[in-house]
Order: sequence, then structure tokens, then C-alpha cells
Amino acid sequence: MIVIFSFAGPGFFDIVNFQNIIHLSTGTFLLAAAETLVVITGGIDLSIGYVYGLASVLGAKVMQILGAGGMPVPLVIVLGSLAALLVSILPGLGNGVLITRFKVPPFIATMGMWGICNGVTLFLSDGFMPVMGAPSQINDIGNSYFLYIDPSKTVSFFSKPPYITLTSIRNIRRLIPNSLFLTLLVLFILGFVMSRTRFGRHTYAIGGSMDAAVRAGINVDRHLVMIYVISSFVSGIAGLFNLFQTGIGNYTPSGANYELMAVAAVVIGGASLTGGKGRIMGTAVGVLVLAVLENGLQIAGISAFYRYIGVGVLLTIAVIIDRAFPDMF
Amino acid sequence: MHADSVNKTSSLQERLGRNWIAIFIVLLVVLFSVSARAFFSVDTAQLIFFNGTEVFLLAIAELFVIITGGIDLSVGFVMGFSTVVSSKLIVMFAGMGLSPLASILAGSIVMMIIGLLPGLVNGWLVAYLRVPAFIATFSMLGVTHGISELMTQGIPTKNLPSLAGIIGNGSFLYIAPNGALSFFARPQVARGQTVIAILPNMVVFAFAFILLFAFILGKMKFGRHLYAIGGNIDAAIRSGINVKRDLIKAYVISSFFATLAGLSYVMKYITGKPDAGANMLLEAIAAVVIGGASMAGGSGTVGRTILGALVIAILETGLRIIGMQTFMTYILVGAILILAVIIDQVFPNRNR
Repeated sequence: MIVIFSFAGPGFFDIVNFQNIIHLSTGTFLLAAAETLVVITGGIDLSIGYVYGLASVLGAKVMQILGAGGMPVPLVIVLGSLAALLVSILPGLGNGVLITRFKVPPFIATMGMWGICNGVTLFLSDGFMPVMGAPSQINDIGNSYFLYIDPSKTVSFFSKPPYITLTSIRNIRRLIPNSLFLTLLVLFILGFVMSRTRFGRHTYAIGGSMDAAVRAGINVDRHLVMIYVISSFVSGIAGLFNLFQTGIGNYTPSGANYELMAVAAVVIGGASLTGGKGRIMGTAVGVLVLAVLENGLQIAGISAFYRYIGVGVLLTIAVIIDRAFPDMF
Repeated sequence: MHADSVNKTSSLQERLGRNWIAIFIVLLVVLFSVSARAFFSVDTAQLIFFNGTEVFLLAIAELFVIITGGIDLSVGFVMGFSTVVSSKLIVMFAGMGLSPLASILAGSIVMMIIGLLPGLVNGWLVAYLRVPAFIATFSMLGVTHGISELMTQGIPTKNLPSLAGIIGNGSFLYIAPNGALSFFARPQVARGQTVIAILPNMVVFAFAFILLFAFILGKMKFGRHLYAIGGNIDAAIRSGINVKRDLIKAYVISSFFATLAGLSYVMKYITGKPDAGANMLLEAIAAVVIGGASMAGGSGTVGRTILGALVIAILETGLRIIGMQTFMTYILVGAILILAVIIDQVFPNRNR
């Protein structure tokens, strides 16, 4: 696919463009990673898309209020972020308790949470208004790069060299956006936890056979609650980072289907919706496939609307291939 | 003696538990009537059904698939697809010189046939290629969304004949102040006099189909087969049911009802847009689950699903009348959805 797009749109095969692809799909990466954990247990989390919007809007709202109160900017940013992250734990906690204690099927529990989070977000954002007024410095954090290289002169970390003007900024190479750094960090941590720790092994065990996991002495209920909390928390990080990238608190539009996109990436990455199977790295590949598809279509000048169709067709093909060769992943 | 009385109370409790949804509806109506005096009226009752037409239709769409143990995520965007294609068709037929009525009829009928396609593909993927329903119907969501966006290029369809709005917002029966009845057309009366309108056309349209399919599901062999497939698919295969064909039919019926919801939307709002039903997936599934169906399949009836949809419709219209914003609807629908499942676990045999 990368080859096709490289021919169809000049400029596609370029390091800057690849950084762009990842920068723009940070949210999808994190949401899909969150969804992977839940899918491995054999459940599904439909609320992540709206937890994402909730964290973004709530963070912006808190920053807006504190900022108007005259607090120093760094404190405003830290408190706003903390508030968003703390609140993003709650939907996961609710999901986990409903699923384990009240035996509500994950599909229903998280769908109910989707409605509740959407409602709260709309309340905070006064009904479909992006929340403005967060300090402008957050954009610098969200959109800056880890490394700036001026081919003729210097290398600098985190911020652009001070002498650079708006016109000459095009000449420097910017490497490793902070978003890539964050994405890699989260993917690495989750990947490590899932493949190398007892927590990860228990997660696969629960997804493989719930009964066997219970008999093996795993505290399944507590484990599931933790999985849903992690899923929700990672979605909260994604939402908060969206605020840092755009500078405004974005509610989740009703047709966005972030959660379904995440499930699509997880499934393309080789996980099975019946549980017990799936890897964080596989999911990352799944997200890349979707992101490259979207970006490639754009650069090739094809209407972005084809991507909805493309994602749909790709997803079904992935599952059919997976059925035909069950041991491929 | 003692044991008898215990039995009696427990059966009363059980009866309450099994019919909590009806009690809940009564409570809602009382609550809204107390907080807004205008709520308790024939007009409001009709408004609830009128506003809720699409929810009713999408809930029935979802029901047929959920009974088989599947799920149809595409209903909302098949509905959007239907609003776009049907309005384009009607405009096209009108442009070919057909009369407004003829072009609306022709457009709707052609759309009903086109609307079978998404379900056909969904059913084929699920039944023959063994793609999980979640994946197959999500793919269809993407495909129908993409096609309708491509057809509209971001602009809602327009130029529909005004007759569409007259049909969509009109009623079946009008009673003039002097007691004269007239059908379909609002009678001319002096200024200041009120005409009582009964049975909105779109509600009649929706319930004609819903009743027909309630009969099919409840009384015909095909309906029993769907329950059998959802209850235990292996047993259904062994008892000689043509499971693949029946599954395809269930998905086709689902997308047919989503198409009807789209047609109803076009008639009511005289426009079509891809995301017309985008946020209705939650409501459709919620209605079915509140109505007591299990996501595992094998249970659920049209009547109870309509009750479930009625809860949502009452909430939406009621909250609007007492001046609450839409966000409360989302929160309440989500909460009631979860509550419904919990209550059903306390009283497990609601659907018997």
C-alpha cells in the first residue's frame, strides 16, 4: 500500500510526511492500544471515543476557569491535565464494576457509559461548542518536536532555535514530534506489560477461558476492573493530548465512531473479538494501515470520503484472511 | 398457609419486576405531567410518536438481528444513506417530469428495493463467510457512510417537492371545529379556530410495517426459526432450519427498516444527509435491550421493543418540553440502558 501511494502522490514517501501521519493519528494509536487490552479479555469498550472527548473538553474547561482566575500558566496546565486524567478513570471504574459485580455485558455497560460521557461532555461544552480559552502555551507542548536540526548550524532539543524566524523555519529538519514520543512511550509500556508481566499473562488467560482463569486462582473481577480502568485512562491521555495539539477542547462528534475505528485497528492487527488473542504491536500496525490509507488518499487527491469505504472493505478482508489462515498472527 | 402468602408476595414482586418497563413509562408520564402542565395531552402523545418514528423503526431493525444473536451497527448510516439516495431519486424523478406525488412514490419504492442491498451483503458476510456481525456491519457502516458523503459532497440534499413535507408532517385524520371529518388534507377554517389532527401520517406509515413484521416474527415459522437460531445455532442447524438463508433474511429486514426510517426522515424534514441517523445506534440498541431482549440472542419481542423505544421517545420529547437540553437525554438513555440489564438479572424470566 505504501508503494502504491508513493507512486500515486509525490511527497507521500518522505520522512516529514511519515512524521505527519503519526502526529495526526496519535489519538487513534492510543485509543486502539486501550481497546486492545479490553478485546484481549474478550470484552469490548465502546465508551473510549467519548472518554476521549470528555478528557479534552474537561481539561480545557478547567484550564479556562483557572486561567480566568489569574493563576500562573504552568500551574493552570498541570491542574487542568490532572483533572482530565483523574476524571477519565471514572468511566472505566464504572464499566469495570458494572461488568464484574452486576454482570452487565461489556457491550451494554460501555454503551451506556458512552451515552453518559457524551451527555456530560455536551453539558461541559454548552452543547456542541469547542471549549476555548486554554493557555496558548499548551500548543507548544503538543506540537513541538524532540529534535530540531538546522542543516548548517546547530541541533537543539524540544524548542526551536531562538534565532529562527517564521520564514526560515522551513529550512530546518524537525525530527521526532512529541506526539511520536508519547505514542511510542504508551505503546512500549502497554506492550511490555502485556508480553512480559504476570498482569499481561493473566489478561490473556482471562480472554482464553474465563473459567480456567478463575480455577487457576486469578482474581478475575479485580483484574477486569483494572483493565477497564486502564482502557479509560489511556483514552483520557489521548483526549488530553488532543487538547494539547489543537489548543481547544473538542467534544466527540456523534458520527466520529472513534471507538469503532479503534476496534477496526485492533481486529486488522490480528486480535479476535472472542478474546485471548491480540498484541499491542499488531494493533499499532493496524492503526498504521488505517492512517496510511487515509493520508495516502489525501495526498493522491482522492476524496477523503473514500476512506470510510476503504476502512470498511479493508476490515472485512482482514477478518476473512484471518479466518482462512488462523495461525498467521 | 404461611408458604402460600410468601408465594403470593414473591409472585407479585416478580410481576412488578417483569413489567417494570410499563410502570416506568407511567412514572415518566406522571413526572413530566407534574413538571409541565401542557405535557398530558393528546397532542403531546402524538408528538412523542411523531418525533420517535425513526427510533421505533431503527429499534425494530435492530431487534431482528439481535434475536439471532448478532448485532447491526450499520442501521444509523443505512438510514442516512436512505435519506440521501431517496431524496436524490425523488428530485430526479421530478426532473423527469413526473408529478410530485408520483415521483415521491416512485423514489420511495425504488429506495425500499435499494435498501435491501446493505442487509443482503451483511447477511452474506455473516452467514456464508463467517465474518463476526460486529465487523461485517461496521464495515457496512463505513461503506454506506462513504457512499452517501460522496453523493452529497457535504451539502444536505434539497429541492424536494414541497408535497413531501405536507405528507411527512400531515395527519391521517382532521376534525374541524364543526365536527366535520376530513382525511389527509387540513380543512380550511376561520382564523382562531383549532383543527384537531389525529394520527400523523408517518406514525401510521411506520406502524403499518411494524405490525406486519410483528405478525411475521410472532406467528410465522420464519419468526420461530429466528428465535431458534439465536437460542442455539447448532441445534437449529440440526433440526433442519436453513440457518444461512434465515440469517440473511434477518439482516435484510434490519436494513429494510433502517431504510424506512430514512424515508420517514426525508418526508418530515424535506432533506437528506449522510449523518441523519448517526447518533441513533445507541438509541436503537437501548430500546431493544430495555425491552428485555438479551444480546446473546433468542429473546425479544416487537411489542416490548416498542415499549423500550417509547421510553426513549417520551424522554426526548418530555425533556424538550420541560426545557432541558439534549445532553440529559444521552445521560438518561445510557443510565436506563444499564439499569434495564441489571433489573433483568434480578427478574430473569421477563420474556417468558
